[in-house]
Amino acid sequence: MDFRDTPKEAALRQEIRTWLKNNLPDGWGTLVHEPEGEADRAKYRLDWERRLYEGGWAGVAWPCEYGGRGLSQVEYGIFLEEMARADAPEGLNIIGRNLAGPVIMAHGTAVQKERFIPQILQAKEVWCQGFSEPDSGSDLASVRTRITRDGDHFVVNGQKIWTSFAQFSNWCFLLGRTNSELPKHQGLSFILIDMRTPGITIRPLVQITGETEFNEVFFDNVRVPVENLLGEENQGWRIAMSTLRYERGPEEALPRLVRFKRDLDLIFQTAKNTSRGGRVLAKDPVLRQKLATSYIELEIMRLNLQRAQSRVAKGEDIGPSASTTKLYWSHMIQRISEVAVEIGSDAAALLPADSAAIAGGQFAFRFLQTRAMTIYSGTSEIQRNIIAEQVLGLPK
Amino acid sequence: MDFDFNQEQYQLRDSVRSFLEDQWGPKKARASLGKFDQNLWNGLCDLGLQTLLVPEKYGGAGLGLIDMVLVLEEFGYSLVPAAMSDTLLAAEILCLFGTDEQKDDFLPKIVTGNVRIAFAHASSDSTPVVAAGSGSIKLNGKKIAVQCASVASHFLVSACNKDGFEGLYLCDATNVKIRDHHAVDPTALLGEVSFEETPASFLGSKAVHRLLLTSAFAASAQMVGISSKALDIAVAYAKDRKQFDRAIGSFQAIKHKCADMFVALEGARSASYFASWALQDDAINSDLAVSIAKSTCGDACRQICNESMQIHGGVGFTWDFDIHFFMKRGKLLEYQYGDATQHRERVAQAVLD
Repeated sequence: MDFRDTPKEAALRQEIRTWLKNNLPDGWGTLVHEPEGEADRAKYRLDWERRLYEGGWAGVAWPCEYGGRGLSQVEYGIFLEEMARADAPEGLNIIGRNLAGPVIMAHGTAVQKERFIPQILQAKEVWCQGFSEPDSGSDLASVRTRITRDGDHFVVNGQKIWTSFAQFSNWCFLLGRTNSELPKHQGLSFILIDMRTPGITIRPLVQITGETEFNEVFFDNVRVPVENLLGEENQGWRIAMSTLRYERGPEEALPRLVRFKRDLDLIFQTAKNTSRGGRVLAKDPVLRQKLATSYIELEIMRLNLQRAQSRVAKGEDIGPSASTTKLYWSHMIQRISEVAVEIGSDAAALLPADSAAIAGGQFAFRFLQTRAMTIYSGTSEIQRNIIAEQVLGLPK
Repeated sequence: MDFDFNQEQYQLRDSVRSFLEDQWGPKKARASLGKFDQNLWNGLCDLGLQTLLVPEKYGGAGLGLIDMVLVLEEFGYSLVPAAMSDTLLAAEILCLFGTDEQKDDFLPKIVTGNVRIAFAHASSDSTPVVAAGSGSIKLNGKKIAVQCASVASHFLVSACNKDGFEGLYLCDATNVKIRDHHAVDPTALLGEVSFEETPASFLGSKAVHRLLLTSAFAASAQMVGISSKALDIAVAYAKDRKQFDRAIGSFQAIKHKCADMFVALEGARSASYFASWALQDDAINSDLAVSIAKSTCGDACRQICNESMQIHGGVGFTWDFDIHFFMKRGKLLEYQYGDATQHRERVAQAVLD
């Protein structure tokens, strides 16, 4: 057990720092920020990902054979830490990098890997995920989007929902039903769909924050070449599960940790610089308990992730206990956002656009944003079922 | 960065667990309520646990707190009385703060299992322990809630001198009076220790801080073990107990409680393990790491023990079922060496002020 960087890790950290210093614009984070509009911001983030690729920082933890850097989970953590320290942009192709890439590497044919992996690595093709449907949320295996064979094509009909980044995506990986005779988990297939195919309609959904990150996507006789099936026909559930596990595990949570630290910094700064009733908020004994709790919980998230990373780095499969990670951080950040709103008090009702907002309106905005976190990637109730049944062995 | 234990550390844990499963645990603890089991002590000494933190030149194993954290977890898991963990921590204190004479005298005795050292820290405001004299120091006053008080051969005592400065003192048990407490936890052997002109030697003022820190850490690690056991027996009961023709563990109301207990346990583990490294390595602020561990493990232990008892239903409230012993030990440790509220305030001082 040792939390210090090894010499190799320290050298990597330095290399990343130097690269970021040379590649982020002068005045980044203070004078220069990301564009405001959603479309402009999306383009900006994609450009940033291409820059990372050119610098050799795309697919940091991907195997070298796929053009990645082949670094360990621990080294990947260092990369993310340094990205966050520099407040670097988040990138746009989150689904492509984190889900589509790994799932194609694990289950794709040589041709599919050749076709898709470099495009993801180079941030040339953005991906979205077609899993949830209006009638299939927690009961994901009940999806009804039909995939029917017609010669050398599949024809897709149905509706997907909560599809993040669909409006910016070139490709979608989709879970649909190829066989309705078989039990529900056994009749599913996993296919890759070009978003330019005729018959696809994207309708943005307005979120409670006013943003339109996610969408409804309609598939009306969308023809997909059979070579875009990933894995075997009717084996889609197993493949979908492997992406879900990834979505809930330490790799996905690491960048969030960094974001949450920034949230907490802003809360602490505000608590130290704001007085109410003649007392600085950070000196109020009750608020101090809450602020300390927030700090401690964020440390626990970090330590949980580092433990999981160390296990992954040693080749262990952390399996269903990935749900523990997601269940912890999602509720943690909701609790922290409640503390933020309490620090903000009356002004916490004001959004970023309002001139009287506290902390740039971030407390209100993040409070709203974090409501989604105990719902997406599997609700907390589903995570608890997974932990109870698959980790603790309680009966179905 | 490597946040995992090595093979030797896991092997040590396994050997302690298999010994305790065989020789101790709630069944044996129940059979010797209010008494100290010399066989348990002898068995733990045969494993060499008392030597873990004693340097090799005194015949010890020369290990550190990272090696110990999983052992302490097992002590909690099997309700081992504090005599062994306190003696272990005392060895570290003597190494760090003792004179050469004290080390030469004490450390070999610890190795042979001939001394048992208890930590006397808590006191009521009306009877503080005061240390007087410079050449020959005498202690006067009372300490309460001392674990394994009646079976200790020596005490480490926190006391103030006439100028109000706190320091750590070592005395032997022949010159003190012990009264067994009527205590919530019948397996902890809590006692009140009265000092009357008790001769003692001074270990320095910094020694108190270190011992409070390592004791808070040891309490955290033991609470992890207690929590782990409380969850295990809750899950076993939920699989076994049938109502409405189904195992109660098939109901989501029970499943979700158990899942939340598991999440709390894993967080507590992370905090406890990190504190062991921080205390051993000095690379970061070990005070902060210990405060994070003590508050996190205390809160987790309370939640897990309470929920485990709830899952047991009526039988959980009976003396015959084991869960109450774990809940009671957890409750004792939750408040010893600073409770969650106090440790959170220390965290606030470190990160906010």
